[in-house]
Amino acid sequence: MAASLLTGMRASAWLARVRQRAFRQAPGDHAAVVLRHSRIYILPTRRGWAMIATLFVLLLTSLNYALALGIGVTFLLAGLLAAAQLHTFRNLAGIEITPLAAGETFAGGQIAFTLALHAGSAARTGITVTGADARAGGDIAAGAAMTVTLDVDAPKRGRVSLGRVTLTSGYPFGLWRGWAYVHFPLAGIVYPAAESGAPPLPHGLGGADPHAQGASDDADLAGLREYQRGDSPQRIAWKAVARGAGWFTKEFDGAGGGGPMMLAWAALPAALPVEARLSRLTAWVLAAERAARPFGLSLPGVHLPPQQGREHRRAALTALALFPGE
Amino acid sequence: MSAAVSFGGKRPARETLSPLQSRCLGALLIAAQLPQAVHLPIWVALTGIMLVGLRILLLRRDRLRPQNPPGRIPSWTLVIFAVAAALAVRTSFGYLVGRDPSVAFLYILVAIKYLEARSPRDGTLLVCLACFLLVTPFFYNQSLLAALAALPAVVLVGVALDVLTSDPQAGSRSFTWRSATRRSAMMMLQGLPVAMLLFFVFPRLAAPLWGLPSDYGAKSGLSDSMSPGQISELSLSDNVAFRVDFDGAVPPPAQRYWRGPVFSQFDGRTWSFGQPGLRGDFTPYSTPRIRYTVTLEPNYRPWLFALDLPAALPALAAGSTPVKDGFPILTRDQQLLLRMPVTQALSYTQLSVLRSSYPAARDEARYNLGIGKGNARTIEFAQELRAQYPDDAAYVRAVLAKFNREEFVYTLAPPFMEHDPVDMFLFDARRGFCEHYASAFVLLLRAAGIPARVVTGYQGGAMNPRGNYMIVRQSDAHAWSEAMIEGRWQRFDPTAAVAPSRIEIGLGGALPSSEMVPLLARLDMTWLKSAQLAWDAFNHDWARNVVGFNRDRQRSLWHDWKLDQFAPWQIVVLIALLVFAWGAMVVGWLMWKRRHQERALVLWDDLNRRLARAGLPRHAYEGPLAYATRAAQRWPQFSIAFAAIGESFATLRYGALPVAREREALVATLERAIEVLPAPAALRTAPP
Repeated sequence: MAASLLTGMRASAWLARVRQRAFRQAPGDHAAVVLRHSRIYILPTRRGWAMIATLFVLLLTSLNYALALGIGVTFLLAGLLAAAQLHTFRNLAGIEITPLAAGETFAGGQIAFTLALHAGSAARTGITVTGADARAGGDIAAGAAMTVTLDVDAPKRGRVSLGRVTLTSGYPFGLWRGWAYVHFPLAGIVYPAAESGAPPLPHGLGGADPHAQGASDDADLAGLREYQRGDSPQRIAWKAVARGAGWFTKEFDGAGGGGPMMLAWAALPAALPVEARLSRLTAWVLAAERAARPFGLSLPGVHLPPQQGREHRRAALTALALFPGE
Repeated sequence: MSAAVSFGGKRPARETLSPLQSRCLGALLIAAQLPQAVHLPIWVALTGIMLVGLRILLLRRDRLRPQNPPGRIPSWTLVIFAVAAALAVRTSFGYLVGRDPSVAFLYILVAIKYLEARSPRDGTLLVCLACFLLVTPFFYNQSLLAALAALPAVVLVGVALDVLTSDPQAGSRSFTWRSATRRSAMMMLQGLPVAMLLFFVFPRLAAPLWGLPSDYGAKSGLSDSMSPGQISELSLSDNVAFRVDFDGAVPPPAQRYWRGPVFSQFDGRTWSFGQPGLRGDFTPYSTPRIRYTVTLEPNYRPWLFALDLPAALPALAAGSTPVKDGFPILTRDQQLLLRMPVTQALSYTQLSVLRSSYPAARDEARYNLGIGKGNARTIEFAQELRAQYPDDAAYVRAVLAKFNREEFVYTLAPPFMEHDPVDMFLFDARRGFCEHYASAFVLLLRAAGIPARVVTGYQGGAMNPRGNYMIVRQSDAHAWSEAMIEGRWQRFDPTAAVAPSRIEIGLGGALPSSEMVPLLARLDMTWLKSAQLAWDAFNHDWARNVVGFNRDRQRSLWHDWKLDQFAPWQIVVLIALLVFAWGAMVVGWLMWKRRHQERALVLWDDLNRRLARAGLPRHAYEGPLAYATRAAQRWPQFSIAFAAIGESFATLRYGALPVAREREALVATLERAIEVLPAPAALRTAPP
């Protein structure tokens, strides 16, 4: 009983493994993948089937009328078909696919996934890459690489994985469709769409109303510090760079309306639904970044202390995108 | 380094054929039409080619004047074209369902379809139709020339498919006819082993799956009846009837009577079979028998030919089709028959005795005395002559003497004789071919009460010195007579009385040179004849080994290779293994060829290996320039060499370099720059 259960489990595990190998439905490719025969599938296209049917009729006719040359020509064309299949295989075999990056976008935009295709020693012709409804492709010269960008529609916030990617080629005659699956754990973040016409930024922690100081998003310049990687290019002291003084980043005074502020979930009107809150917070994060004001973010379960910079912005937007948290 | 992404987004809603794709399809169609055109009525041949040409001209006009709206032929006219073509074919051939009109109709229909082809799907259909068109000439001719004539179209099938798949004008690849043809021809060569394997192992049919159309093979050889003009028409054909390999000495020309259909029934004009098909017996003879092998071309009749007289049933190869479906038989009038028409080349070994007379069965006389209707003058004349010569043999001599002494002319072009043809021939025209003489002779004998009959077949045959075999052509077709005298059938050839040289040296010797004798039956033009004989020797091999590779030959080949000892599944496994080995070899060769084709790539791969051993492997994403820069940073002392390497390799791989000399110079630079670098071990220890 136990033994049979064990065999049953083993069999189902084995079945799952076979299915994964055949269809790559789980993201099991963690590094660059070189296409080998075990991944490449080849079946006739519609044109291929039409050709096969034609050859079949030709063969029957030639056999019926005992036309040796008809049989010969039929088989010559069949040989062409077979050779074309080998070329289709050769066109795909040996391509190395490397996952490069997953992009980021706001809901309603397109998220870009980039992959690199290395041709290896042979030239590749007419390679199409499809993944999540996006298509790209082209020819790759021998020894060269091609960067393929798949722009995937991203209607909703959250983490978007590229999913399974299919490489297809009909080269040389379009009689055979060769394809291979690769599935990288490549995922990008789709941030909530920023609310358009969002209310102005909340007060800084200093308490003063920014609008009292002339309704400006700008803050008072407090001084310069050495540039650090990740600082926003908008805050680089370009004049200093132009003078040849070196790379500095402008620091702003936290006092007044331009000071650090807390963008808090709890501070929003209670009637606002979840997605609208996230949209508004997104819009504020962007506004704060534009205004070069340090901000903190507080969501249920997430607390980011006030800070500035690209990394901070990304962290805040990611927290918003993944709310209520993965 | 990274090629631009050439397309993105969604497929266009409706694809149309590009001008280049249309041109390639046009070239394919014309190449497929040309070999067929010679077998069609001239108007069909021209119409088909002109329709294709029309579309090509329109395409050309579009290309020259792009500002004009593209030339289009309205779709509704095509239906009219098609119906008109069907009607015209019906009128021209007299019928529509049959091989010849079907082929003619397909030939025109393909061209009409091409006129209106718009989408790639139409393109696929045209390629498939072109494949059909490729095979149709083989209905008429399976010579080596016919095979060669089909080859350009086969290669163009590949070119058309290639262009249909990825239109090079839209993509990055540039199109040249030469490279496209080369690619297709290469692929054809790569597929050749599979094609040959299939050709040898694919089982052939023992009998047709469906009936052959009634007009199939109508023109190939003797007919099952004989009326004036039939054999003379056949004499204009150079086609080979059969070939013979003799085991011993070759009989002299005067004894080369190849016995075929024997006619007893006469209606005053046409001779036909009449005697019930009883089985006959071989006459035992003590005279030496000669042994030979006949390779019969398909004649679509159940007849086998043997030298007069056959002494045994033909020995067909073991396992050969006719043996299974019924042995050949000998009829009472000493004709060899099969139970089924000869639709494939057939070889048989035959024994004959060279005798011109043999015993007759007593009751045969009554089947061979009918004189039909009309020809009253002939019958009257015969009765008058018979009164002078009551002895049978003397009477026959007198009749032959009449042909010999009087002004009879042996000619391929006798006047047309509509009523009472024998009367007209004997007393008015006095010009005729062998069937006229045989017919008149037999009628004269029958009218005198002597049983007689017409025998048709072939007389003669030329030895081919290059192959040491005999060729018997349709132009050797002949008709002679047999008369029953003193209880024995005796052969008489009235043609010999008029034109003895016809029997001694063949048709070319018997006819004046002003008559249209087939080229090869003529005696002069020796160099042409010798070239032709060499060609025929080659064709004989072709016919025996390729065209004649039928079920029987296939079986004997399997037997020779001991393949018939294996079970079918073992043979299937063997074939699968062979095909797999072929695939592995081709793929392996393709990979190897690509690597060794380009010197620059070889050098670059070598450099990568060396630098990897020196501790600086190239990243998979790294292009030549980036890698060279990194190497230059690691080994600043060789930075100039690395810069040269990176630049020249990148230009070679990704730059546009039309001039071969520039390429060579760059490869030389690459090579020299790589030579400058020390060995990997030295590089590894070099200070950074």
